[in-house]
Amino acid sequence: MIEVRGLNKSFNQQQVLFDINHRFENGKVNLIIGQSGQGKSVLAKCMVGLYEADSGQILFDNRDFTQLERAQRSEIRQEIGMLFQGAALFDSLTVEQNIMFPLQMFTKMTKAEMQVRCDFCLERVNLAGRNKLFPSECSGGMQKRVGIARAIAMNPKYLFCDEPNSGLDPKTSIVIDKLIKDITLEYNMTTVVITHDMNSVMEIGDNVIFIHQGQKWWEGDKNTIITDDNPEVEAFVYASSFMKEIRSQIQQKRSL
Amino acid sequence: MLTVVFTKPDKWRLYFKRSINEIDLIGINSLPIVALMSTFMGAVIALQTASSMESPLLPDYTVGFITQSSTILEFSPTIISLILAGKVGSNVASEIGTMRVTEQIDALEIMGVNSLNFLVLPKITAALVFFPVLIIFSMALSMFGGWMALYLSDLTTTDIYILGIRAFFNPFHITYALTKTVVFGFLIVSISSFYGYYVKGGSLDVGRASTQSVVSSSIAILISNFILTQLMLLS
Repeated sequence: MIEVRGLNKSFNQQQVLFDINHRFENGKVNLIIGQSGQGKSVLAKCMVGLYEADSGQILFDNRDFTQLERAQRSEIRQEIGMLFQGAALFDSLTVEQNIMFPLQMFTKMTKAEMQVRCDFCLERVNLAGRNKLFPSECSGGMQKRVGIARAIAMNPKYLFCDEPNSGLDPKTSIVIDKLIKDITLEYNMTTVVITHDMNSVMEIGDNVIFIHQGQKWWEGDKNTIITDDNPEVEAFVYASSFMKEIRSQIQQKRSL
Repeated sequence: MLTVVFTKPDKWRLYFKRSINEIDLIGINSLPIVALMSTFMGAVIALQTASSMESPLLPDYTVGFITQSSTILEFSPTIISLILAGKVGSNVASEIGTMRVTEQIDALEIMGVNSLNFLVLPKITAALVFFPVLIIFSMALSMFGGWMALYLSDLTTTDIYILGIRAFFNPFHITYALTKTVVFGFLIVSISSFYGYYVKGGSLDVGRASTQSVVSSSIAILISNFILTQLMLLS
């Protein structure tokens, strides 16, 4: 479980996060949604320590990340897996070397053990046999799956995914979403996904928080979000004409 | 930045492996340009000196002596370092800068890797170890280039040229040249790494950082050259 308490963050005297309090549950996919520029990525980057929060606490299973020195943070970070928006694979390394990288850095595994773990992770993301490809030889969806394989290589307790579906077609997006959901349940991880994709929300949104103007504006799940009448949430959820059509059908059903 | 760079590597084996890779990337790959530059510059120095020797009071071996002293004191350590600032500096800044804008450095940090130490220390080690080798190689080729030019132009004999090279040879000049080289190597890699590591934005900004790193490294080389010369040759 990850708990955020009273988190504030500003850049150049402009505050972007205001007193964020939230508990990200274990074994569930926790979504942070919101329009672009509202502070959801900043929140996630504060949580993993890429940005220093101005004030507040970030507790990883009651361990206050904000109070730790670099070496102690490193121990928690080894329990974190992260899938980046652009996958952030090391382009000079092959798929296999990318997945083995954290194992080489932080474990005493033998080459054979690392190979077994790497093959298992690749199998898990349906990329068995693609070991020797370079990231530049992989499609966007494959890169994301390699990113997930690398993120789970160390058996993380916490998984962060920054817009995992950006740049992917709807069908591949669903594959990635399902993979994230399955892995979360399989390893009982605390998964935090930053997205503005409503398909993802409806597919995997166990817990959803809506960030608006740097504040936690709304909290719920995939079922409550479509019926909520908060104007900002409604404007976000029903932004597309397709979703507007769905809303009118829901309203028609309600009136009957 | 440097205090974080000079910490104990997370894994020594990976550090050595990366250092060897960096020696190949920034050292061995620079051999062709260093060889080309050194040979032709040595040849030009020798020809220019020979063409200016009109006074009969100057002994014939002066050409060899001037080629040797200008190569060891200034041409090889400083001019070759300026060329390496362009080649290696831009390479280092753009490599690290691209890793920054594509979030690869963030990925390292989130894994718990000290990214500055992991990325920069092997490059600095490679520069400190291999730049002196490159400069000694450059000195040898420059003097060879000088001999070749004089021999082909029939301006002096091999014996006289070698006599000139040996004349008034001061071994401390080699110490001075290699000290400068080590300082220049450190400046090139650390300045370029700084520009690459702290780049913000996209590919345009990486290009800009790369250019700035070359300009700043070159200025740093010129200033430190002046200071080191004052300290080592005149004090």
